[in-house]
Amino acid sequence: MSTSTDAPASCPFSGAAAEASSISPAKARPSSETGAEAPSADWVTIADLHDDPFPIYQKLRAQAPIHWVPAVNRYMVTSYAAAHEIEQNEADFTANERESLMKRSMGHSMLRKDNPEHQIDRDSYGKTLRPATIKNHWNEIFAANNDKYLNELQAKGPGADFVWDYAAPYTAENLRLICGFHNASQQDMQRWSQSMIDGTGNYADDPAIWAKSAESSAEVDAAIAEMLPYLAKNPDHSLLSGLASMPIPLEAIRANLKMTIGGGLNEPRDVLATTVWALLNHPDQRHAVQNDDALYSKAFEESVRWVAPIGMYPRETTRDLVLEGIALPQGARLGVVLGAANRDPQVFDDPESFNIFRPKKAHLAFGGGVHFCAGTWIARAQVAQIALPTVFRRLPNLRLDPANASVDAGWVFRGMTKMPVLWDS
Amino acid sequence: MPTIIFSQSDQSATEIEVSEGTTLMRAAVSNGVAGIVGECGGQAMCATCHVYVDPEFSAELDEIGEDEEEMLDCTTAARTEYSRLGCQVKMSAKLARIRVSVPNEQV
Ligand code: HEM
Ligand code: FES
Repeated sequence: MSTSTDAPASCPFSGAAAEASSISPAKARPSSETGAEAPSADWVTIADLHDDPFPIYQKLRAQAPIHWVPAVNRYMVTSYAAAHEIEQNEADFTANERESLMKRSMGHSMLRKDNPEHQIDRDSYGKTLRPATIKNHWNEIFAANNDKYLNELQAKGPGADFVWDYAAPYTAENLRLICGFHNASQQDMQRWSQSMIDGTGNYADDPAIWAKSAESSAEVDAAIAEMLPYLAKNPDHSLLSGLASMPIPLEAIRANLKMTIGGGLNEPRDVLATTVWALLNHPDQRHAVQNDDALYSKAFEESVRWVAPIGMYPRETTRDLVLEGIALPQGARLGVVLGAANRDPQVFDDPESFNIFRPKKAHLAFGGGVHFCAGTWIARAQVAQIALPTVFRRLPNLRLDPANASVDAGWVFRGMTKMPVLWDS
Repeated sequence: MPTIIFSQSDQSATEIEVSEGTTLMRAAVSNGVAGIVGECGGQAMCATCHVYVDPEFSAELDEIGEDEEEMLDCTTAARTEYSRLGCQVKMSAKLARIRVSVPNEQV
């Protein structure tokens, strides 16, 4: 593991030095003036979004910052300024939406609470996910896990799948230890995560999906019940260990852990695979990072900007208001489309291209405001600091399999669903 | 009410009057002061609210807390002995007319 020489010595994530940048994007403020009705985008389909949402976002953004999208049954917010205002303004845009599928599949976690309630849950996560703990504790564990799962990938040989034979088990094993599930396997973590995420996205109300999600939810409850007394006696640095000695309701612990299992596994897995895929498709940039480890952090940030792993998250208006000229009634269900905001040409030049050398600007991939991703530094450490440099060092001449095409898919969550790779062994 | 003076590297400055208890970050963000991002809304998780506090006020500030300490190691512009996270500094009467410099880079 190498550290950049120009980064602060003790930051667990060696960020490359930034170029001077303009960092105050256009501000949008909700006003009480009369606004225009949101245009309806009835041409948008879920299937098209799943295949490739970006041309759709371009078309939407060019027309208006906010649309009513019947297929999604929400207003979709696609401009950077509007998305940024929503995440910084809890009073007008609540995270505690009605009829939330996430609450049904995972319980009422911090992600769907507003302050002051939210802060109690957020603070209950203590120091586990913070930079000093990462530096003093997790980095070594992530490095060992990375070796283990890269060994497994190499043992499978060229033709193995970068996502399913490496990125998924690696990030799942890291999250298992972060959470403190010493009574589960990384495979359990992957199954729990996917089935509860499927519940969260079960707009079609498919009973089979609810059954699987409920089954995983019950397994997580049982695993927590077993771990809490054990960790109270044998404390470690995990989330559950901290929670074991805290006066916090069991219901909140369960919901927060389920949300973290859902949100802490797929995203680092996806950013790891997407970044490698993008670098393999841009030989000049791949060459640059291979010659300068400090650039891996730039590649990571550009990758989450370019393809936000969490493409959309929900909010709800608490009053009638006008945002960027569009009138929204009280109780309007919004989808804040980070995948679109991060490619807003008002903020980013040539936004559709992957370019690790673009001038640094604040992207919204980790959200913002009080719900700003609690796992930001964990993700940066395990992916940019540990996995990426090792992958390119250990797999000489790594390349995509020309005979077996990779697949990138999804929009609420987007990543590589298939990525067969070759290397010189 | 106490006043904060945010000065930029081009020598321009913005004066903002705030009520006691308001953080430097919140004051800057709600008034659109350039160069203070405050992406994490004050969770001490993003280090994009970094400021340099004028030396004459250093002694008046509360000590740097544990969370602030580790995050100050992750600022984009170099950390100095005057570095603070704007979201962790709350205004009080004794900080009246505090002057802080905004770094050139924040992300
Ligand atoms: C590249 C990887 C990741 C991305 C892009 C990402 C993105 C996000 C976003 C956009 C949010 C805010 C959602 C909203 O406001 O509705 C969020 C919240 C959260 N994330 Fe992440 N995440 C990542 C990795 C992780 C990891 C590894 C963990 C845990 C170990 C984690 C734990 C959390 C938690 C606990 C919250 C809720 C924070 C709160 O409500 O206060 N995330 N994440
Ligand atoms: S606002 Fe994020 S650290 Fe201060």
